[in-house]
Amino acid sequence: MNGLIDAFKQNFIEQDRWKYLTNGLKTTLLITLFAVMIGAVLGFVVAIIRSTYERTGKMKILNFICRVYLTVIRGTPMVVQLLITYFVIFSSVNISKLVVAILAFGINSGAYVAEIVRSGIMSIDNGQFEAGRSLGLSYRETMISIVLPQAFKTVLPALANECIVLLKETSVAGYIAIQDLTKGGDIIRSQTFSAFMPLITVAVIYLLMVMLLTHLVSKLERRLSQSDRR
Amino acid sequence: MIDVKNLCKSFGDVEVLKNISETIDKGEKVVIVGPSGSGKSTFLRCLNLMEHPTSGEIFFEGTDITRISESEMNRLRQRMGMVFQHFNLFPHLTIRKNITLAPVKLGLMTADEANARAEELLEQVGLPDKADEYPSRLSGGQKQRIAIARALAMNPEVMLFDEPTSALDPEMVGEVLELMKKLADDGMTMVVVTHEMGFAREVASRVMFMADGNILEQNRPDEFFSNPRNPRLRDFLSKVL
Repeated sequence: MNGLIDAFKQNFIEQDRWKYLTNGLKTTLLITLFAVMIGAVLGFVVAIIRSTYERTGKMKILNFICRVYLTVIRGTPMVVQLLITYFVIFSSVNISKLVVAILAFGINSGAYVAEIVRSGIMSIDNGQFEAGRSLGLSYRETMISIVLPQAFKTVLPALANECIVLLKETSVAGYIAIQDLTKGGDIIRSQTFSAFMPLITVAVIYLLMVMLLTHLVSKLERRLSQSDRR
Repeated sequence: MIDVKNLCKSFGDVEVLKNISETIDKGEKVVIVGPSGSGKSTFLRCLNLMEHPTSGEIFFEGTDITRISESEMNRLRQRMGMVFQHFNLFPHLTIRKNITLAPVKLGLMTADEANARAEELLEQVGLPDKADEYPSRLSGGQKQRIAIARALAMNPEVMLFDEPTSALDPEMVGEVLELMKKLADDGMTMVVVTHEMGFAREVASRVMFMADGNILEQNRPDEFFSNPRNPRLRDFLSKVL
């Protein structure tokens, strides 16, 4: 027990090393939050373009661009995308690493969100479209007021899962020398030469965040399922 | 009111409607019957462009609707209510919202006006206490009555019914037909695809028999049922009556 307390002191108290974790956590949350927003917007736009093409045959060129985007993003590793974004695309631009990471993770997440949302849209019965259109609503209004709300409800668990994956995925941000939560723990390890305490603590922090997210989502799901109750 | 000229519709290689010409006048209640696959639903769905004709013209109040723009088409559909076999209520919205969504979104009524109209319509379809329920809590018959109320909220000039009772349990057919009859008595122009021969006999001003993408015979209901001339119709009636 005393050993544990000593290890705790050595790893977190001495030289205020706990700050590596708190600052790292802030960075992780910042990247995740903005990447989720970019991913959600991008994902919905791509999903709408793709399902509009599938349903009506319109937006052929945009649909092609979206398919290339999905293939490339889903076909290459996140770390490689992050490295390319930083060292190739923004190599000659003076830009904050944090912004680069947010863009890279957001664009990556967008591809997965797009496929999730598209599956949701395609799962909505064609009769819902027809009912909306028969009342004189345009395709767009039908999509926004009738189809998307239902699709969103259907895919909410999958979307929440994608957020959780993204939160954990940001742990590779260290590859472009961003000091996120994982990197923070690793820095402590390299200074104190003890791996157990800092790395387990990092893992527990991720776990707690994921559990909190899961809890919030199930609450939201219950609220959205109001209309299903018989 | 509706003038159909040489209407043809194919899905791929399959010719569903073969050169149909027909006129429907204001106030008429046209009931279309026929074996399944005869094209009667497709014909009905062409009238509000849920299906686009392959060739031919459809005039609604003098305008050829096969040549109109997307936004003109949306305005046209506001004037033609449609009721579907599977109701197609919006499951994520309350009954009140189901009814008021379109008139409010399209700027035809304020939210207050639409809510008042919804109350009125719910009264009319006999479900005044269901405004705040979700569709999943209603029976099939109730759902279809709400679907009719939703269509009526747009104050349409014509109502198109696409097999409105085919998906209902037998004991719920009556309440929907009753409501449709009331609507007919109020003077609504109606085009109804149905298998309910009793309804056709009682309510129709004209019954049409379709088979293989053609209208083979049509007549006043008493003549239609007591004195069918076309052998296909005679055969059909002997099976359903």
